[in-house]
Amino acid sequence: MKPLTFKESKQLLFAPIIENNPIALQILGICSALAVTVKMDVTLVMCAALTSVVALSNFFISLLRFYIPENIRIIVQMTVIASLVIIVDEILKAYAYEASKQLSVFVGLIITNCIVMGRAEAYAMKNPPIRSFLDGLGNGLGYSFILIVVATIREIFGSGTFLGLQVMPDSYPTNNFLLLPPSSFIIIGLMIWAIRSISTSQVEEDENPLKAHTFKPLVAKKEASNG
Amino acid sequence: MKNLFIPLLACIACAVVVSFTAVSVRSTQELNLENDKKSKILLAAGINSENINEEFEKIEIIYVNFKSNELVEMDEKYDHLKATLKSDLSTAVPKEKDIAILKRMENVGPMYLWFDKEDNIEKVVLPIRGYGLWGTLYGYISLASDLNTINGIEFYEHKETPGLGAEVENEEWKNIWKGKILYNKDGGVELKVVKGASSNKYEVDGLSGATLTSNGVSNMIEYWLGPEAYGPALKIVKETFNS
Repeated sequence: MKPLTFKESKQLLFAPIIENNPIALQILGICSALAVTVKMDVTLVMCAALTSVVALSNFFISLLRFYIPENIRIIVQMTVIASLVIIVDEILKAYAYEASKQLSVFVGLIITNCIVMGRAEAYAMKNPPIRSFLDGLGNGLGYSFILIVVATIREIFGSGTFLGLQVMPDSYPTNNFLLLPPSSFIIIGLMIWAIRSISTSQVEEDENPLKAHTFKPLVAKKEASNG
Repeated sequence: MKNLFIPLLACIACAVVVSFTAVSVRSTQELNLENDKKSKILLAAGINSENINEEFEKIEIIYVNFKSNELVEMDEKYDHLKATLKSDLSTAVPKEKDIAILKRMENVGPMYLWFDKEDNIEKVVLPIRGYGLWGTLYGYISLASDLNTINGIEFYEHKETPGLGAEVENEEWKNIWKGKILYNKDGGVELKVVKGASSNKYEVDGLSGATLTSNGVSNMIEYWLGPEAYGPALKIVKETFNS
């Protein structure tokens, strides 16, 4: 394998933010994106937790990749991922107690986050440790980017605060819709739209395009009515 | 062989790392839990402060033996909730008396007291708990200096439905409790959470859509401030300190 160049590592780190975003392009990890984006401080803790888990799990799984038996690879991957998640959860309970109380089950649910499993299967099993680590870090940043944007919108326009500080005038009512999970669905949808209209290569091909009628009686009827 | 050894090795390595982390952060986690509980006790008493330990120093903790209704001394580390798990430190509550559905009750419970400069009672906080709809609600209730007027209420753990029963955490609802009267002239617990709006000092507005949670809160107050729990001890405390 060729040595890792600067350009390549930049590509690994920053491509998943816009060009190949795990949430916006691959539509993975939506569950936690809906649940933990009400308040910015909680979101930041979640982003840090997921980024460290996906980077480290990629690193360790890549280290083990020649030794993991092909037919039970998912079990070994899960062991590594689950251990990392438990460690992160324990550390949060000790050093970020308030945030961990609000995140409740969602830290534990990182185990089932498709981004973590997806990167382990798709990248770490086939690439050397440093590259895998950077790839994991990049995907974590991509996830964080979407969550931070959603949380910014939801906190400012939902409860009128940002990082707990009041930013809206006192008369601003709390917008309950933005505080409920479905609003992040819509915000993420709008973000996907925005990203795809900038980078048009992400637009998927229409699988079921509409075509003109070819059914003869109908075509004949249409012609008759037209003329 | 490879199929057996690598997963085994990975499991052992992961187990060692996980247990090592869990053990090394345990003391910090327990401190967090303790501080959280302390802050809820302070919140129930209406103290919202950053310096939890400093504020906590001002509290006198006395313990009540529910069997003999005496004030007793206990070790500082005594945890009345853990005591309910031990057969020698707790007693089964007879079914007909168990309105809060506790099943077992500790023999000794804490009472948190604040004194003013003349050594009169300023306020008191008591732990309460009882079954709601989905599980046990744990909280604290605070009484003012006459040991009859509600000073505040706070729940720190429950499993009630978000938006309905979980509204026990709603600030506005908790504020309704302030100034309500607990005991009637005969000394019985009169305060209740009623359906709809309250009409007198002995009633608290019910939580709409959460009748069972509201009933649970009523029952736990009737139980914990009644004759089976803190009721007699509150009278003793009142006679001893407020003359």
